[in-house]
Amino acid sequence: MIFNWGYSLMQLYSKRLVNIALFELVRLFLTKRGLLAVAVFSICWLIVLRYAIGEAVNLLSSPDFAGFIDQIFGAIGLSKLLTWPEAELAVYWLIALYSFPSFCLFLCADQTVGDRQRGTLRFLSLRATRAEIIFGRYLGQLLILIALLSITLVATLAMLSYREPSLFVAASSHSLILLGYLVVAVMPYIALMGFINTFSRSARLAFIVAILFFAGGKITVGLLTWQFPALEVLNYVFPGYQLADMAAQDAGLMLAVGLPLIQTIILLIAAERIFARSSL
Amino acid sequence: MRTLIKAQSVTKYFGSKLALSNVNFEINKGAPVALVGPNGAGKTTLFSLLCGYVFPSSGELNIMHQQPGNAHLFGKLSALPQDAQLDPGFSIIHQLTFYAQLQGLTKSRAKQESNRVLELVGLSDAVDQRPNDLSHGMRKRATIAQALIGAPQIVLLDEATAGLDPVHAREIRELISTLSNEATFILSSHDLSELERLCGQILHLDQGKLTEHSALSQGTSNQCFVTLRLAQKYEDVEKILFALAGVRNVHNSQAKEYVIEYEKSGEAFDIQLLQCCHQQGWQYQQLVNGNTLENQIFHKQH
Repeated sequence: MIFNWGYSLMQLYSKRLVNIALFELVRLFLTKRGLLAVAVFSICWLIVLRYAIGEAVNLLSSPDFAGFIDQIFGAIGLSKLLTWPEAELAVYWLIALYSFPSFCLFLCADQTVGDRQRGTLRFLSLRATRAEIIFGRYLGQLLILIALLSITLVATLAMLSYREPSLFVAASSHSLILLGYLVVAVMPYIALMGFINTFSRSARLAFIVAILFFAGGKITVGLLTWQFPALEVLNYVFPGYQLADMAAQDAGLMLAVGLPLIQTIILLIAAERIFARSSL
Repeated sequence: MRTLIKAQSVTKYFGSKLALSNVNFEINKGAPVALVGPNGAGKTTLFSLLCGYVFPSSGELNIMHQQPGNAHLFGKLSALPQDAQLDPGFSIIHQLTFYAQLQGLTKSRAKQESNRVLELVGLSDAVDQRPNDLSHGMRKRATIAQALIGAPQIVLLDEATAGLDPVHAREIRELISTLSNEATFILSSHDLSELERLCGQILHLDQGKLTEHSALSQGTSNQCFVTLRLAQKYEDVEKILFALAGVRNVHNSQAKEYVIEYEKSGEAFDIQLLQCCHQQGWQYQQLVNGNTLENQIFHKQH
């Protein structure tokens, strides 16, 4: 097993991997279907920016509601966010942290399964190793998510600078840190979809399996933990376990970065191993 | 002669179903090789094994001293897998350029190469079209084009001419014939006469078992065959042919077609046969020097 995996990695060729990843970027930004998806995404985020973030900032900045907001945010453990001078970024952080992982399950539902069903992978596998296909597709989806996160973050920054131009410099560096954390947060979700793609029969089924994994899995672990509290450790299996702590700015580096990276690596290795053995 | 492919005791099961049983063969560099057999005989399974899409249950398969699917075979082995389709989201030139880039060509060189292979299959005017905008035959030709990118040494074509109109099927046959000096083609088709024209070595699969034939079998050194196809039915043909000097056996292989087995001698048997046709007033359509592939396979089965 270890020998086989080592051999697969030895055959990885970075140029082919990057070519496969860039092809995925082209799929989103240069095909009609991809552009339509970007347009829908942009409209949704415009609504979020205008009505959710814009209105929330007005509320947060209002001295009339200060006491009430303090109580609410304190009760749900988010009081640290109120100390941010960039109120737009605080609201963005909350929305993006919870919405992007869910969006990711939908966006990355078809990494290899569609091409496998159509037979297109057969053309590809004569020119790239299966490890390159899995990792290249993963990298492509990650680049897409980075691009979309960057677009929303830039739009939030623009909104913030319009309200308070003096915050721009501080907010820009803060945004980069947030982008880094958000990218790491979505990484295991993309890897999970890549993993499910290796045995799923369609993108829709992959999405359903992912939902069942989270819903059914968490109920099962909850029941097991109720009987055997030591099994609480099983929660670390689920991508996003750290999100609540990250939202409240209470997550240490190991939880915010280490856990999702470990989950990503394990899921990618599992995906590559299954894909290497499956029929195309 | 250089051995390109060597299969030793290859067996493949899909669950409990036996698809290939203890298959052994060697393919050398040179003339196209045909893979024939009825539906479900295991042809596509064998192609899939050679391409590395599926793995043998037992036995060993070597392609230019590598396991199928190995990165060292990229660009050296190409294929037209049966029923595989290009991505409907991109133009065919975009996809072929991408494949050429994966084979190591620069972007500009890859685009040139894609244009070249699309021109070879007569799709120069459709390079910017997406697969769904093309007819079935054009899509097939586009997938044949992807198999010709670069300079492959082995090209596997599974039912390459199925679904093509006669003109384009003929063009593809001519293309294979022209390119067979540069690459060794392995073809599967149900059109036996097509394979007979193109191929030397014939691999016949039936119920997962493999036998080898040559395109036009001439039997042993002193046992020869000719296949005579007449224009219409005539009386006592078998009896008259059997009376010719040197004839050992006459078999009515199918309607108006006779396989004549004869003993080699100093006299030219084909001349004697044509004279007989002339004397009897028989019109003939075709005289084949040997036993046709169709008859070889048919006789083996029945």
